[in-house]
This record gives sequence, C-alpha cells and structure tokens, in this order.
Amino acid sequence: MGTNESDSRCHGSVRILSKDSNAVALRGWAVGRGLPFHGWRMTGRRIVSVWLPEFPMERWQRGQVRMGNPPPEDLPQALTTEGTHGPVIHAINRAARLAGVEIGARLADMRALCPTLKADFADPEGDRAALHRLALWARRWCPWTVADDEIGHGLVLDTTGSDHLHGGEAAMLAGMEAALSILGHSARPALAPTWGAAWALARFGPVRAICADTAPLPVTALRLDAEAVLLLHRLGLRRIGQLAELPRLSLARRFARAAAAQNPLIRLDQLTGHLPEPVSPLQAPPVFRADARLAEPILDPSHHLPELCRALCGQLAQAHRGLRRLRLVIYRTDGEVSRIEAACALPSRDPAHLAFLLRDRLDRIDPGFGFDLISLEAPVTEALATTQADLAGGKDTGLALAQLVDRLAVRFGRKALSELQAVASHVPERAECKAQPLARGAASRPGAGLAPRAERPQRLLDHPEEVQVLYAVPEGPPAQFQWRRRHYRVARYQGPERIAPEWWKDRPGTRLRDYFKVEDEAGHRFWLYREGLHDDGRGGTPRWFLHGIFA
Amino acid sequence: MPDSGPKSLRKSLTGAFPPNPRAGYVELGVTTPFSFLRGASDAAELAATAHALGYDALGVADLNTMAGVVRLHAEARRANLRPVIGCRLRLVTGEEFLAYPRDRDAYGRLCTLLTKGKRQDLDEGWQAKGLCDITLDDLACHAEGVQLIVVPDAALPRRLAELVRCLPGLRHIAVSYLYQGDDRARINRLDRLARAHGLSILATNDVHYHAPDRRPLQDVMTCIREGTTIHRAGFLLAANAERHLKSPAEMARLFADWPHALQATRTVADACNFSLQELAYHYPQETVPPGETAQSQLEKLTWAGAARRYPAGLSQKVRELLVKELHIIGLKKIPQYFLTIHEIVLWARAQGILCQGRGSAANSAVCFVLGITSVDPTEQELLFERFISIDRDEPPDIDVDFEHERREEVIQHIYEKYGRHRAGLCATVIHYRPRSAIREVGKAMGLSEDVTSALAKTVWGSWGTSMGEANSREAGIDLTDPLMARTIRLAEQMIGMPRHLSQHVGGFILTEESLHQTVPIGNAAMPDRSFIEWDKDDIDELGILKIDVLALGMLTCIRKCFGLLKNHYGVDLDLATIPPDDEPTYDMLCRGDSVGVFQVESRAQMNMLPRLKPRRFYDLVVEVAIVRPGPIQGDMVHPYLRRRDGREPEDYPSPAPPHDPDELRHILGRTYGVPIFQEQAMKIAMVAAEFSSQEANALRKAMATFRSRGTIGTLEELMVGRMIARGYDPDFARRCFDQIKGFGDYGFPESHAVSFALLVYVSSWMKCHYPAAFACALLNSQPMGFYAPAQIVRDVREHGVEVRPVDVNFSEWDSTLEPAGGGFALRLGLRQVDGLGREAAERLLRVREDPFTSLSDLALHARLNGRAIRLLAAADAFGSLGLTRRAALWEARALRDAPDLPLFRPGQDEGEETPVALPAMPLCEQVVADYQTLRLSLKAHPMAFLRASLTRQRFVRAADLAALPNNRRLSLAGLVLVRQRPGSAKGVCFITLEDETGVANLVVWPKVMASFRKVIMTARLMQVTGRLQRDPASGVTHVVADSLVDRSDVLLRLSDRGFTPPLSRADEVRHSIPAPTQGHPRNARIIPGSRDFH
Repeated sequence: MGTNESDSRCHGSVRILSKDSNAVALRGWAVGRGLPFHGWRMTGRRIVSVWLPEFPMERWQRGQVRMGNPPPEDLPQALTTEGTHGPVIHAINRAARLAGVEIGARLADMRALCPTLKADFADPEGDRAALHRLALWARRWCPWTVADDEIGHGLVLDTTGSDHLHGGEAAMLAGMEAALSILGHSARPALAPTWGAAWALARFGPVRAICADTAPLPVTALRLDAEAVLLLHRLGLRRIGQLAELPRLSLARRFARAAAAQNPLIRLDQLTGHLPEPVSPLQAPPVFRADARLAEPILDPSHHLPELCRALCGQLAQAHRGLRRLRLVIYRTDGEVSRIEAACALPSRDPAHLAFLLRDRLDRIDPGFGFDLISLEAPVTEALATTQADLAGGKDTGLALAQLVDRLAVRFGRKALSELQAVASHVPERAECKAQPLARGAASRPGAGLAPRAERPQRLLDHPEEVQVLYAVPEGPPAQFQWRRRHYRVARYQGPERIAPEWWKDRPGTRLRDYFKVEDEAGHRFWLYREGLHDDGRGGTPRWFLHGIFA
Repeated sequence: MPDSGPKSLRKSLTGAFPPNPRAGYVELGVTTPFSFLRGASDAAELAATAHALGYDALGVADLNTMAGVVRLHAEARRANLRPVIGCRLRLVTGEEFLAYPRDRDAYGRLCTLLTKGKRQDLDEGWQAKGLCDITLDDLACHAEGVQLIVVPDAALPRRLAELVRCLPGLRHIAVSYLYQGDDRARINRLDRLARAHGLSILATNDVHYHAPDRRPLQDVMTCIREGTTIHRAGFLLAANAERHLKSPAEMARLFADWPHALQATRTVADACNFSLQELAYHYPQETVPPGETAQSQLEKLTWAGAARRYPAGLSQKVRELLVKELHIIGLKKIPQYFLTIHEIVLWARAQGILCQGRGSAANSAVCFVLGITSVDPTEQELLFERFISIDRDEPPDIDVDFEHERREEVIQHIYEKYGRHRAGLCATVIHYRPRSAIREVGKAMGLSEDVTSALAKTVWGSWGTSMGEANSREAGIDLTDPLMARTIRLAEQMIGMPRHLSQHVGGFILTEESLHQTVPIGNAAMPDRSFIEWDKDDIDELGILKIDVLALGMLTCIRKCFGLLKNHYGVDLDLATIPPDDEPTYDMLCRGDSVGVFQVESRAQMNMLPRLKPRRFYDLVVEVAIVRPGPIQGDMVHPYLRRRDGREPEDYPSPAPPHDPDELRHILGRTYGVPIFQEQAMKIAMVAAEFSSQEANALRKAMATFRSRGTIGTLEELMVGRMIARGYDPDFARRCFDQIKGFGDYGFPESHAVSFALLVYVSSWMKCHYPAAFACALLNSQPMGFYAPAQIVRDVREHGVEVRPVDVNFSEWDSTLEPAGGGFALRLGLRQVDGLGREAAERLLRVREDPFTSLSDLALHARLNGRAIRLLAAADAFGSLGLTRRAALWEARALRDAPDLPLFRPGQDEGEETPVALPAMPLCEQVVADYQTLRLSLKAHPMAFLRASLTRQRFVRAADLAALPNNRRLSLAGLVLVRQRPGSAKGVCFITLEDETGVANLVVWPKVMASFRKVIMTARLMQVTGRLQRDPASGVTHVVADSLVDRSDVLLRLSDRGFTPPLSRADEVRHSIPAPTQGHPRNARIIPGSRDFH
C-alpha cells in the first residue's frame, strides 16, 4: 500500500467528493473547474472506465499470432461483417487507417481505394464473449467489473475503496494500461465519480484522466446516437458545458420521451450522478470441487474416491452440467502436490464412470509420507440436461461407447485411439478416414450419413495389388486372373462400376477405374479394377488391380 | 441493340451441317444450362456434337422449364437436326418424368401446367420466384397428348401402379447405362417392372454435357447450386463422366440386350409432331374494328393522320413515301404491329403521358403521321426500307419511351386491355459474366473471398468495370498455381452460362390466344409482375413481335416543362410543334452551355459541342451518336470534325475497278465519309466486304458475345481480307472493323439517334428560352440525368434566374415558378427536403389557406408529426415565420408528438418556458446544414469560405481559367463533382471540380493517377497543381494535373460534423458506371451508356 504523500492534487479532491455532506467544498471543486454547480450530486463512488479502441483487431491479431502466422504490421488489414450489399468494414489496423480505409464502408469500395487490403471475417460474438472474460479478468483490481460494449468496446470498474491496494488511483490506472497492454490491448482508462463521466473522459478526456472537467468535452461524449448529436450540433450545442447550462425545463420538454441514447438530459444526469448507474457485475462461472480433509495422512486415496465423485456429481447435477475434464489433486503432508487428470469424450456426471477413470492411475501417485487433503475438481464443464434414453429404461448405447473411449484413453492415451469414419468420396480408398473418436463436428463432416450406391468389399487392401487378367478387349469383364501366383477362373461377374479420378485432387493424367465384382469357381469373391481405357490417351494398355475381397 | 442493358451472350452455330441419315436412337434425356446449374453444355455445343455423332434428332428436357427450348430448337435446326421439344417434370412428391408433347395442343397443356406450378404455390398463393410446384393431380389434368417417361427412383416399384392408373400417357420407364456397377441388373429389374405394368423401358443417357471433359464444370455447377465446395460435395457429385452425349452406335452397344429400349426412343420422338415453328403468332384483334382488315384500318388511320399532320396538304413526296411504306407493311404482314403500338400511344396521349417511338421502323412516315414519333421523315433522309428489308425476315423494331414516372400506368393499361393471360413481359436471361463466374467458381473451388476478389479484379479487371488496374503480381496471386489455373479455366467455361431469369425492362409480347399455351409464365421477384420464360432473342427467333415499353426521365421533364410553359407563359407546345431551327438554341449549344439538356450534358459531350458546333438538326443526331466508344475506338471522331470544318477533303475509299467506285459514298455521304452510326458500319460489312445477311448477322452476334472467343478473329480476317481483296486500303479496312468492334458493346444506331436528337433539341430550346421553367421541370423529375440538383440550381442561377428557398408558406411539393419582376423566379419545392414524405407534405398543403403564423399553428392544423416538422426546421423552411433554422429546430423539438385529443392540446404543463439564447449559426454552418438537408445551398458555396485563404496561397478560381494563357502552371481547389475513367480513354481519369465561380475540368494521366490514387478516390475537396491546356479550335480548357492533394479536412473546419458535398450522379467512384455487369437488368438504363470521352 502506497503512502498518500505522493498523491496528486486530484486525490485530495476525491476525499472531498466522497464526503457527501461537504457541499461547500464540492461547490468549490465544481466551480473551480467551470462546471455549473447545480447539476452535481454525490455518488460517493469512484468509477473507472477503460476504453479499448482497437479491441476486435487486437484480438484477431492475437489469434493469428497463436496460430503461428503473425500478421505483418505494415500491411493494411480489415475485419468485415456481412452487410446488405456485401462485406462491410468492422475493424482496421493502423496501416489500413493510414491508407484511408474507413470503418463502416463497404469492403469493395475500400479495396478500390487500397488494393492490398486484406480482409478476414470479424467475430462480434466472440469479441463480446472475450470482453466479458476480460471483465472477469479485471476483477484483480476490484470486485465490481462489467464489460461495456454498448458503443465500442470497454470495461467499467467500480474501484471505490480499492485504489489504495494498487498504489492510489493514478498508479492504478497506469497499472491497468500496462496490464492490458501485456495482453495485447491498447487501453485508455479514466476515473470519475460516475459511469457516464468516466466513459466520456476515457474517450475524449486527457490521458488517464482522474475526475477531469467534463464541461469542455464534445456532446458526443454523452453516449448519444448520431442523430441526437447532429441535432445538438444544429442547435449550436457542442460542449457538455453548454448543454448543462440550459434550463432543465427546456431540455425536459424537448427530450422527455426520448430513449436514453437520444436523450441528452438522461445522459447528462447520468454524467452528473443525478441518475444512478450502478456497476452490477456478472457472476464468475461456479467452481465445481469436492474436498476430503483427512484427520490422519493416508497413503491410498482409493477409498475416498467414490464419495468424492458422488459429491462432485451431486454439485454438477444441481447445476445441470457435466464435466469434460476431471482433476484429482492430492496434497501431501510434506507440501508436495500431485495431480491426475482425465477427460471425457462426452460431458458426464456418472460417479462410477469418473471413479473408474481415476482408479487405474492412482498407483502413479507417489504418496510419500501420506496426504491429508484430496480434492476433486471439474475444470471444464458443459451443460448437460437430465435425459432419458428410452422409455424402457435401457442404457444409452452412445454413452456406453463414450465411456469405453474414456477408459481406453485413460489407459493408452488419446493418441492411441481412432475411429473409422465415412468420407463422402467415390474413390474407395478415400471413402474412410481415421478420426478422433467421438470428435465434435463428426456429424457435420462432408458426406456423413451418406454411402456410395454400390456395395463395397469388407476387406479393402491398403494398396491395390496388380493382377494378370484375361479379358475381352476393350471393355470386357475379366475372364481369368492370376493373383499371388494363383489362378482364378471367373464364374460370375458384376460391373463395371466406373469411378473417375477426382479431378480437383488427383494429378492430371490419373486414369479412371472400372471396378468388377467377380466370383471364382470356388465361390471366392473379389473386387478387381481395370485402370484406364484403351483409348483414353493416358498411358498404354490398361492394367488390372485387385482392390478388395468380399467375405 | 440499345434497348436493354446487358448484352446477350448467346453463341450460335455457323457453317454447313449436311443432314444425317435416320439413326436408331434419339437422345431424349437432355439437360441444357437452362435447368439452371445442372446442364454444363449450351445448345450450340449439344447440337454440334449430336450432329457429329450421327444423330438426326435431339430431344430437350429441362427441369420444369421451357426456357431453353428455343435455343435448342434454333441450334438443332442450324445443325440440320430435328429438335424434339419436351421438358423434365419433377413433382412436389419427388417423381420425375420426361414429358414430350405429341402436338401443339399437348404442348399448350404442358405450358399451362408449368405456368400453374410457377404462378401458384400448393395453397394457391403467389408462388415465390424460381419455384415450380406441380402435383400428380395437376399433371394428370394436363397430360392429354403428352408422352410421359418416368425416371425411376427407389420408390418406383411401389408407386408405379398408381402412376399408370392416373397417367394414361405414361408408356415408358427411362433407363440409363451409366457404369454404376449394377447397370445390367437394374435395367433387367426395371424391364421386368415395366412389362408387369404393360410399359416398356426407354434408353437415355441422362445427358448433362456434350463431352466427358465437361464433367468438372458440371461438378462445379452442382457445388454452386448446393452451396458447398468441391471438397465437401462428396456424393452430390457423380462418380464418373458418363452423362455425356454418346453416339447412337455406342448406345446400341450398351443396350445390345434391350433393343426395345432403343426402339422406344424412336417411337417417342417420331410421335412428337410438334415443332416450335407451329407457334403461329396471332396479333391481338382488338385494334381492328369489325368490317375492316388490319391493313385497311392502318391505311385509314394513316391518311387521317397525314391530313392532321399536314393541314396544308400532302406533298407529293410524302404521299409517295406513305404509299410505299404501307405497301411494305402489307407485304411483311405487320399492320397489326403498327396498330397495336398506335393504340398504346393514343391511350398514353389521352392520359397526358408524353411518349416517343424510336428504333428502325419508328423513323417511318407512317409512324410520324400516326403520332408515334415526332421527327418529320420528309426533312430527314431516313429511308424506311433500309430498316425493314423485305428479304430479311426480321421483325421490325419500335421502342416507345414513356415518362419514367408514369410508365407503370402504361404497363397496367396493357395488362388491363389485353388481360394478363394475353400480355406478358419478356424475360432477360442473366448470364454468368467474368466477375460473377470467377467469384462463384472460386467459391466452389474453395478459394477464399480474398483470393476470388483479387482474381476478379486482376485477371478479369480489363473486362469488368473495376477502377483497379493492379496486375496479379501486385495482388499477390500466383497464376501458375494449378488450382488457380483450373479455377480460371472453369470460370472461362462458365462465362455465358445462364444463371437465372429475370424480367425484361419493358418488352411486352401480346397474343390473341392465351399466352400460357405458348410459353410458361413465371412470377417475378417484384410483386404483381410476371414474365414469360423466353427472352427477346428467343422471341425474335420464333418471329413473335415484341413491343418495348420503356421509361425515359427526360420525357417526364419535358412534359412538366410543357405544362409550366402553358400555365405561366401561355405557350402551348408539344414535341412536334417546337419551333425548328432556332438560332439562339444552337448558339447556346455551340457554347457548350448544356447542363440538364438531354444526352449532351455530360462533360465529354459538353467538350464536343464547341468543336462540332451544331447548326442544324442532323448535327444533333451526329452529336448524340459520336461520343460513344464505337466511333472513338474506330478513330472516326477527329476525321469527322476535320472534314466537317473543311480542313480535310471528303474522301471515299473505293474498291478496285469492277466494283462501283461510289458504293461507300452512298452509305457514308451524310457523314462526310466517316462511319458514325451502327447501320453504316454493318452496311459497310455488307457492301464493301460483301457479307451475306447471314454473315452480317453472325458478325453482329459475335460482337455481342465476348471478345475472347475465337469467332471474332475469323470474322475480322474475313471482313478485312475481303475488303482488301476488293481493292480497299488495308488501313481503312482495319479501322472499319475496329469500329464495328466498338459497336458491339455500345453501338448507336442512327434510327435511335434521330429520336434522341429531337429530345436534345426540345430540351435545349426550353433551356435557352425558358431556363426557369426548364430547371423547375428538371428538379421535379429527379432523379434523372447527369447532374445533382445542386448543379442544376447553380446553373439556372448563373442564367440569371432567381431561386428562392424552400418555405412552408410558399413551397408546393414540386418546385414552382413565382412571379418576380418581369419574369419568374424558381421556388424550391418541399420534395427537395431530404426524408420528408409526400403524404406529410400534402397534408400541409391541404390546410395552407392562410399563411401559418407559428410552428405550433402549423403542427396543429396540418397534424404533422414531430419528425416531419423537425425535418422542415432542419431544412430552414420556416423563414417566412421569422424563425431561423436554429430557433425553428429548438421550437420543433418542444412540440408534442401526440394525438390531437383535448387533453393533449398544447398546454404548458411543465410551466412557462424560459427563453433560451442559442448561439447564432454561422453562415458556413448554415451552408453545411443546407447541403445535409437539401443537398444544395442557396446561401453560399462552401468554397467561398476558404477563398480568402486560398487567394493568399495564390490559388486561381475556376472562372479565371478562361483569362489565363495556355500552358500556364496554376493551382486550383474545388469540390469534386465527377470522377470518371472511360474505358475508351486508355486509363486517363477525368475529374470535374467546382468552386463558387464555376467548374474546372481536370485531366489526370495514368502515371499521375497511379501516384495519387488515394486522393482521387477519396477526396471530396481537392487541390490540384497543373498546367492549363486550351484547345485552340473550340476554346475548351483543361487543367492537366501534376499533383493532387486531398483537402477534405478543410471541410471539417466549416462544421465539425462530417460534411460530404453531393457528387454528380455520373460519378464512377460512388455510383458505379452503368456498365453491363452492374445492377439488375430491370433497373438498367434505357439509354445506351454514354461513355465519356475527351
């Protein structure tokens, strides 16, 4: 905690302001700053507004850096949203601003102006979510923080009484700016007794303003929409001070019914504190955690596991959530901490299953001289409603698979597992791929749920094997073939099924394939194909391959 | 073809196609590109391939449409094949049929069925555009005489019994051998199924493209249709490329086991006794009274009209002309066409709607005496038979322009008179253009928006309308990348493929019988509009007549001006009675003083006027046609000017001796030996290069398609070669061809130029003699023309007319004329107030008996809502009440926006209002607010506030330019009015600046453009340093820019709110130039794009 010796003059005025009764001192403060006194009112609060002027662009840049392709600073870059007539510029970087690109213009127009302008899609939803996360992050300064994204992006913090923890108000604002810049955001904080005044100062006031005079600020600083601002300008009212000098009655008559964004009176009252505008923060997401505190250190936690799992699942059930990640933390008596983590393919709150996931790995813990606190946490959860699989009360088979996956993953590691998935491709070897089991988005994979029209063999050779075939030139079916030094005489055949190369993927010159299903005299069924046609101009005589075996 | 915006991209077959012997198989399952985004080969490719493969007939069956049949019909006949016309029907329940009508009646039923599906949804509501809902019941009701072939799906075995019961015409099941692995088994299964129901199988190859190598394009089309990319499309795509046109021999090999399937195709095709040529066209009979034939009625009307037009009696010349024309009309059997147009024009005139005809047939004496046109043919040497030739079987062409504000009335009259079942708008086929093709193909190929737009700009930029000339390196695109190369190749194939149908700007077809028995009719996206499925080329192909009912803003203006002249000056005139050959009018035009005048008001035209110095009507015809890319690209402008001034001898290149040495003199005599008009260029091809009318037609069509295609090259060789062979100068031959090339895009025919020239003359005459009335009419006809109201007002004030501001006590909705001194002053109308609704204004005008005395008085009586009053206050319209803008706004804000109930009558609940002293509004802010609310200011010009500082910095004013010596270096500043970069000017950019004294024209060479690109594109106030350049002949001055500075920041000083002065409507940066790719054809400009030229 810093001393007050070095505190600025402004800090002194805080004390006066925060004492409700000292109206004389307040009058002195207000008049001294050219503000009409009649409008000012005590709020007793100290509100910080932080303006993040470049929030969407900086967040996008950070994302690009994380993905390993940091965007060059000197190339003009824009983020766009879909407008009625094509993409509209949502955010730009410095280079783009210098090149004359404007926010709100159409991308096509701006491209004409600046041909090198790069564009990516903006993510306003993601920005909003990130801003709310940032608001939670800002709790380090005070407990009341909210995201302010009504106009632009910003944060609002009610730091009343908490500034001394950060070395006073001036130091706190500097600290905020520094901390946000470490995150990659340029920020302009300002402090005032009301939200409205802090908002105005952050955007239009001096750098890191603390209770600076709002009278000379333009009326735009009142959080009014463009139409209201235009009207005030036409009326010759350009500064907040000019507006504040007008008789209240005249303003009230003219703006009584207007919504807040169009109503200078409401905004003025919010600025001066006549209208309260409290900072009501969002709740941080709940923490799910069950602890077992032991009277005596023990060496084997397994007896406590079922109870912990039950407790944790009880908490989850109450919140209608299921966990995707599970963490067991064991606090040893000698101060060491060990952790075991497990993950679920689908959100789960089944105590038996969770216990099972942990049980096999408990022996990896070095108990040392024993431990006295076991804590089970659910760091990642997802919404999970209570469901009934079927009316007969049977088991949900999908769940069983998910639990199997979890158990195998615990034992062999996630990388050891894969699941075959159908891919919509006519080319047989491309018709399936290995994927993470139960990976999200499998349902939206191209061609999921579709199948080729013709039958495919149970066994597909990884590499088709060339065979010698006797057939009627040019397009006849195979009559006899030799595979792995054995002769087969074809008794029956079906086909051909012609599969052309995927022109967008295959090298030019790839030949088409004519697949035949054949059955030899012994009843073995094979899948053969002839690669190419005699006159396709893509090589010599067609070659034959055996690609699969039917059961 | 100046009447519709985008050019048709139709490809057409030429060459000899000897007839094939009768083949054993006819392909019936043919999908053309008119099954939108399904078929990947156009009619010409299909027909040519079918002919080469040995077919003698070819079917066409597009999905729920007849839109493509005319093209296939035409191309098949050109390739000596018999077209078999049908369609593919898909019911709402999923069954699919190929439907082939046996005769004309069955065809009519099929069209009726499609019309029903396209006009009404299943609940009989208004069908959305592009959908077609047909149920089995609908089909059963309209299936008489239609041969149906069911296309099998998985449900067929279950459904077949019911289908057979409902549809007696169902005789076949379509089977295809498409190498799907189980083809034999499947065909055998279907064969058994068919037999069990007494049907037969019918072979088809389900043709989607003419050759296997079109599969990629078809795949890409599928992706575009399904909104996916090639990598995600999966089983939406076909496994192989077998759905191409296969030869009858190949089909016989594939169906060797089922000969009856092949035989069935022949049976079905032979049973189709229907050809599109049977769609004998019958004119509506309403126009012919009982007891008359169409010809006799036309003759009667003609002579009656002639007596009216020439009250002094007919001259021998006119009489002969009329007799000759009537004779040709009789021979061509088109009197009803003239009668129908006459009826519409007569009706419009009775309603007071101004109209004028133009087009090849319109410049006839018959049209003049019938009142369709107002250009006296005896004074112009336009020969009728040059346009309607007896040997060429082409329909005559008359477009009728109506006032743009009232054209809808004419359209509704046509619907009312002939019925919606007999009158229909034509379609316009929207084709893929380079930009749309690369964009959509790129998207389907999985390229990002960034890359496709860069591609669209670089590779295709030269064909598009982009301002960018950045090459691909600059955009960072590697054209050697295989994916890029493939995308470009596919996009190239995609260009010209139809994308969807849209309604034509105004082309009507009228029939005697029900229209939906001739062609299906579908709904447009616009409410209450429906259009037929064929476009104007299709209609031409079938010889059906079309009447173009078009909209022209200048006619609105002229009609309003006629009204003003009558009411205020007591002068009663119409188009035909305007005093001809008026000296002061031509003097005015020679000065280039033509703001607001029809056609010749653009900067290029204004620069041309002092050089061309029009002194008679025909000069105006040339003036209208000469500032076009055609003459410019052919380098015909300067020779014309030189010869006209007598600085160069008229010279007619002539062929070598055996040919008539004067053959070109006949064609080019009127234009001093320089080809200016489209007709002249085509005529040169026909006379000097001995093109047959077919070849000339091919030439015209080749011009309309894309220049990249090879046909042009061969035609160029043909034409130039033949001209040289006949002894012409090679250089001249090449120039002739270059000009035709230009005409391909922006050709301007003399037949249209004459009608336009009349409007030029009429509007010039008005401007010259009644500038106040003309400006007033112009303002009341907005939006139209080249200039924004600010420039019109400025021009009229320069002509000494007093312009008075908008005022609630004096202004009408329209701008009006008020007596002032000896003449009239122009009072701006309430329509000038941005955002004020007409209804609110009308309410105000209704109660304005005595002048309003206060704001609340006005609000109370006119019951205007608060918003309207605030708009009026912001527009400073309360001057006569003694309220300044600011005071009015402050007062207006206090008015209640409440219903007029006793309780809410204005009372001061809150107590007495204390007067508030608002700061006075400085003049510069007044001007800015004027621009923001009225888009013009009468108080001052924004530049006037900067003049003191500018003068200190030695900037000159626009008005000073005339006095400065040539080549003088100077600096100048002004608001940007127009920025243009005409395609014909080789990258030169033209900018017009305006200051308080006048306008200055800048020329920016490409090199300067490259370095000051950003300034040019964004600056609203520009400061330029350059050199004065004056054309000695015409006195036209330009400033050739060396450097440009964006000083838009200065505007901010006038008012700290953003202030954007209005640009001219022709500015190419804000409003993209009206080039073919831009916008919906419905909104296309009717007047052929005038591309500016210096």
